[in-house]
Amino acid sequence: MTNDLLVQCLAAFLFTVGMMVVLLRRDTIMVLMGIELLLNAANLSLVGFSNSSQMIEGQMQVFFVITIAAAESAIGLSILVNLYRNFGSIKTEIANTLKG
Amino acid sequence: MLSPAIVILAIISAILATTMIFAKNAVTSALCLLGVLIMSAGIYGLIGEHMVATIQLVVYAGAIMVLFIFSIMLLNLNKEETEYKQKPLVFFGVIGVGLLIGGVLFNGLFSHFKHHHDGRVLGPFSHETIQQLGGNSKVLSFALFSQYYISFEVISLALLTAIVGAVVLAKRKFD
Repeated sequence: MTNDLLVQCLAAFLFTVGMMVVLLRRDTIMVLMGIELLLNAANLSLVGFSNSSQMIEGQMQVFFVITIAAAESAIGLSILVNLYRNFGSIKTEIANTLKG
Repeated sequence: MLSPAIVILAIISAILATTMIFAKNAVTSALCLLGVLIMSAGIYGLIGEHMVATIQLVVYAGAIMVLFIFSIMLLNLNKEETEYKQKPLVFFGVIGVGLLIGGVLFNGLFSHFKHHHDGRVLGPFSHETIQQLGGNSKVLSFALFSQYYISFEVISLALLTAIVGAVVLAKRKFD
């Protein structure tokens, strides 16, 4: 067991947990948090492999992933605030009409 | 070979992530996610990627989690809003799907590390080279503003679009 393998195992575990959070929880804010956890697991895996292969391409990719994650959470949370204003709840199953 | 500090951070991170699934309160989950992100930043720092660790702390653990906690406070959720009652079939189905995905991932990882990891092609940026070139941050910043500058500009445009979109979505009045 080396450090590389440990980091990759942690990334795989965090990815699994994030997937379960997205599938299991029924409120939008937890789904968004699960997506953040998935992105963080992917970042961990990218940095681990890029560090052990002595490259910097993975770290550059991680910058862009973090930036996109920030943009995604800003948009997602403003959609969520709108959802709460219009439906009075943030459960995923109440937003079942397409009429804006 | 196995560094004890990384092991401790990994164990804490795994425990916090597991707590996040089953926490009743959304604030508990948000704080657990914050812990996971800080532990990841620690792991990045320990394997020598100082620039990524700093960015992770400032952007992820700083900005994004503050945004999350702010919106939880703004929404003022009552108790049954964040509680989840799943049917047992759905619950165990999701656990089964999670175990399946985890099994596939771990199987791929272990077979990669057993058969292919030692024969991988190494890049030019070993630890000694990075030290000679002036450290991790300098190497990464140089690459960011020379080799990847178009991606950098495009990503700044994407951020600008996201800011404008968030403001429009939050200020707009629906009838």
